Amino acid sequence: MSPNNRHFVPAVTRRDVLVRAAHGFGSIALASLLSPPAGAAQRVNALAAKPPHFKPRAKSVIFLFMVGAPSHIDTFDPKPALDKYDGQLLPASYGTVVSEFTKGDTPLLKSPWKFNKYGQSGREVSTLFPHMSQHVDDLCFVRSFYTESTVHAPAMYQVNTGRILMGYPSMGSWITYGLGSESENLPAYVVMPQPEGTPEGGTPCWGAGFLPAVYQGTVFRPGPNPIINLRPPAGVTPERQRRTLDFLQSMNEMDTLDTDTEMAARISSYELAFRMQSHAPEAVDISKETQATRELYGLDQKHTAEFGTRCLLARRLVERGVRFVQIYSGGGPVSVQWDAHSNLVANHEKMCGMTDLPIAGLLQDLKQRGLLEETLVIWGAEFGRLPMSQGGNGRDHNPHGFTMWFAGGGVKPGITVGETDELGLNALEPRHHMRDFHATILQLLGLDQNQLWFLHNGRNEKLTDFGGNVIKEMLA
Amino acid sequence: MRKIISAALITAAVFGVGLASDKDTTDKEAKFIGARGKYWAFQKVVRPPVPSVSDSWVRTPIDAFILSALQAKKLTPSEPADRIRLIRRVTFDLIGLPPTPAEVDAFLKDRSPDAYTRVVDRLLASPHYGERWALKWLDIVRYADTNGFEIDGDRSHAWRYRDYVIDAFNHDKSYDRFIKEQIAGGEMFPGNKEALIASGYLRAGQEHLVAGNIDPEVSREEVLTEIATNVGQTFLGMTVNCARCHNHKFDPILQADYYRLQAIFAGAEGKEVEIATPEEKAAWEAADKAYQERLKPVKDALEQLQKPYRERIEATELAKLEQKLQEAWKTPEAKRTPDQKTLAENAKSQIEPTWDIVVAAMTPEDKDKRAKLRAKLHEVEATEPDPLPMAYAYVNGDQPAPQGYVLRMGDPKNRLDPVEPSVPRVIKASYEIPKATVGRRTALANWLTSEENPLVARVIVNRIWQYRMGTGIVRTPNDFGVMGDRPSNQQLLDWLASEFVAKGWSIKTMDRLIVTSSVYLQSAAPDKDREGVDPDNRLYWRMNRKRMEGETLRDEILSVTGSLNPKLGGRPVRIPIEPEVYDLIFTEHERDGLWPVNPDKSVQNRRSIYLYDKRSVRLPLLTAFDQPDSITSCPVRPVSTHALQALSLFNSDFMQEQSQAFAARLRTECKKDNQACEVKTAWKLALARTPTPAEQKLAKKFFTGGGNLVDMCLALLNRNEFVYVP
Repeated sequence: MSPNNRHFVPAVTRRDVLVRAAHGFGSIALASLLSPPAGAAQRVNALAAKPPHFKPRAKSVIFLFMVGAPSHIDTFDPKPALDKYDGQLLPASYGTVVSEFTKGDTPLLKSPWKFNKYGQSGREVSTLFPHMSQHVDDLCFVRSFYTESTVHAPAMYQVNTGRILMGYPSMGSWITYGLGSESENLPAYVVMPQPEGTPEGGTPCWGAGFLPAVYQGTVFRPGPNPIINLRPPAGVTPERQRRTLDFLQSMNEMDTLDTDTEMAARISSYELAFRMQSHAPEAVDISKETQATRELYGLDQKHTAEFGTRCLLARRLVERGVRFVQIYSGGGPVSVQWDAHSNLVANHEKMCGMTDLPIAGLLQDLKQRGLLEETLVIWGAEFGRLPMSQGGNGRDHNPHGFTMWFAGGGVKPGITVGETDELGLNALEPRHHMRDFHATILQLLGLDQNQLWFLHNGRNEKLTDFGGNVIKEMLA
Repeated sequence: MRKIISAALITAAVFGVGLASDKDTTDKEAKFIGARGKYWAFQKVVRPPVPSVSDSWVRTPIDAFILSALQAKKLTPSEPADRIRLIRRVTFDLIGLPPTPAEVDAFLKDRSPDAYTRVVDRLLASPHYGERWALKWLDIVRYADTNGFEIDGDRSHAWRYRDYVIDAFNHDKSYDRFIKEQIAGGEMFPGNKEALIASGYLRAGQEHLVAGNIDPEVSREEVLTEIATNVGQTFLGMTVNCARCHNHKFDPILQADYYRLQAIFAGAEGKEVEIATPEEKAAWEAADKAYQERLKPVKDALEQLQKPYRERIEATELAKLEQKLQEAWKTPEAKRTPDQKTLAENAKSQIEPTWDIVVAAMTPEDKDKRAKLRAKLHEVEATEPDPLPMAYAYVNGDQPAPQGYVLRMGDPKNRLDPVEPSVPRVIKASYEIPKATVGRRTALANWLTSEENPLVARVIVNRIWQYRMGTGIVRTPNDFGVMGDRPSNQQLLDWLASEFVAKGWSIKTMDRLIVTSSVYLQSAAPDKDREGVDPDNRLYWRMNRKRMEGETLRDEILSVTGSLNPKLGGRPVRIPIEPEVYDLIFTEHERDGLWPVNPDKSVQNRRSIYLYDKRSVRLPLLTAFDQPDSITSCPVRPVSTHALQALSLFNSDFMQEQSQAFAARLRTECKKDNQACEVKTAWKLALARTPTPAEQKLAKKFFTGGGNLVDMCLALLNRNEFVYVP
């Protein structure tokens, strides 16, 4: 089980570890290390920043995940033919349609929203996104994604981990495993779920799978203490905690040999934890943001304030060197998900209303601060929705074709890649599997999908498994 | 066909692998297997002679193998570890708990030559021995108490398999019998409850149970994949699952072999089998009836409260619908036209409110009433009688097993050639798997435990060695294939395998042999010169330092602070979780009552092996210390070190509570306010030794600087020495 791979930093002396700690080379887990197969060849700081395989276009990622799946044909992939065939059955030529509850024998349903062309690029967006549509010149739409499962959790696992099965390392884990972190005092990989509840796939969506625990996503919760157990128990003052910590550290120092990097790493991890206690609350303290910024993210409006806060936090985290931030819109009760099996109009207007302005604000803010160039923003979900109706006014799941968009981080702006058929049911060739999605993201971050591997139970496991194709048209 | 058979025969003759009856193996495949079948792991175990090295260091045959390998590299073994380290090491290794100060003192005072072996025998006889082993075994078979995936439902009876495993190790059940019961429990030992429970092994993995159009064929294939994958990894140390989509890229496993292995399990299925006695059943029925009667008034009251709101919402929503939908809805069910039936269904899905919408519509008074009723409901639910005892088993079905096929890229919709049940050709000896549904698993179990099988004994002795010495002789314990590690000392591995079978497949015998060897007794201290020759300690010139698993660390803390409840077995225990963790439980329903905790503190302080293991919700302390996710087999736990561990171990409520308990224990044991005694006792409890003068000085300085006893305890429980076993 010795993954002799460049992603593990080779042995250094304990002095080096401590020097690195002092200079904040690494990150929260500066002190992370794998137990060597036996003793001597010890490794330190799994999260120290590591050089990519080649010159990267993006340094960090913000992944906006729309839980439950928005309808592509009602947002970014207009289908005029649906207006024509509204109420009719799907032509037999389409064959049987696999979905979760329906079987493709319900009538086609036209989009209740109008589409307009925006920006110089003339990209089409429905009236659901009055704010996001102002940024189409920065967006790259891919309309030809498909995925393997028609059920939420497996499909979420596939977007996040590459497999429809539970328990594989998530993309953020792979990326932090590959690149380490630029942040000294914060987790490398932060996840912000919907406060009402977790997405169907649950914590495995941001799990490390068989990679060491240090690479798993750290959940940030609302409030001043975003990380679990960040604060000392009530009644323990910082002075008191420091005193106990000093006592612990002197005991540890006493019996640690100078060459013992593993123990040195453990000593450092306590210093980093201590620093995190002040840095994490600082990172989530938005009180010093200007009124203009707050309005930009919709913090002044009831329906956008919550998601807007998380978007603003994403910017603040990326600014502070966090490598991968994932925000979930939706989770918990069906009424707070994009899963419009019934009442498509009410559902999508509500969910778009909560997210449209904040996402537009995030894009604008990243741009004006010069962060968009090196930050890859992704908007997507586990699948799309069917052109047929469910229950009269809803839509069932569509894994056969759906849209995601990308911005910044070396992506070609203002273009559309790929297409679905006339009705928006199936992605047309060259359609793109989630493996292509992952291969492209790794490419933008300077990572070669085939060089990023981990030996697990006899197999060199990779995010893209059998390999994906980088979607070249997307690259600027 | 004749040509094919002869090719196979020749290959078999040349390479000594069993290809003789492979009528359905093509010429090309036979060549593929034949060439790769020469690999060491597929050769029958031949007991090697014990090297003759005359040295007083040699106490066991193991030592002779190790010493001769060291001498070949001009290395010498390390000094023996001191007695304190030794008793701490062997106690953690064999029972997963720290030695008590009394046990340490007794060992230090006992200067008789067999003092150590008596400690070992005491530990091997401890009921905690089985718990220690179960933690390792359950990692390999990726056991959990829930199904996994989004619903991640409870498996109310799975825990009996966990207890079965603990019990098997405690009673030193022979490993061949252990395998037979798990692979073919009900089939080989009809009427034996224990064997039926053991077959729960085949269902230990995750299973995707969810609403909606889940294709039964796809689900069935997922179940068989889980089984075949784990049987390969656990018993054979082979990644047969790599051959699911194509012939194995590295090992001589055909894609057909993979589906032949699956076919062995295809005639059986997961089932909860009642194992209650008639008396137990009668008692349960009475208890359940009483429980339902307690539940009914609360449920009725809730329904009564919600009904008018729900009906009002439905009426309002209905009025918004198109006329034809309204009409269909209002038409009595029996009188609806086929069209109206669809429309009525549509209407239903459009007007039916979810629980949160109903609650939002309530008056503050009714909301309050409802909250109280929900609390009452959970109170009653907490008194639910234990379910009727069932075996969470895997049993033969009523139908003959369906024909097996090779599946293109593992896709059940894409069948290629038919296959019959069989074991991988490369290691097939004379055992035939019958085509009849009944008997397939028996034949597999007999084959696994036959002396002809080159892998099974090697794989398990390697695991025993790994758990005692810190690394395996083969460091990839689930993969003895070409992509896996080569044994650092194959002679030793083969001798151990042969000895294991000769001594009746007894794990305790092997454990005893290893922990009483000079190899095991060595110090873990590093050494520059030896590291220069063997940096990874593959030849075992010293002991490897081990870090506590998250579970063991928790058990150690509970034990040291005097809080541990040592009760064995029973239903899994939910301990209190942080609100942040509670939030991560997925539900589309109401968020109350999702994690019912037993309010009895002593129940919460059970050993970690008994904690409720929910695949999608992990406990922060355990997961921070690399507890695996119970989703794939974990043969070696990673050891990572990071700041979240420090936060968990320094700031959590659990640690606060435990350092207080520790301080209280010290105060009791030292009677009066005696700081020196408290420090000394704390060290003995936590580290099995007395504090050094320098440490005493440090502690004194800590107290004079304002530190208190609780904080000293917290620091001690965080110390490197506490978390590692050298």
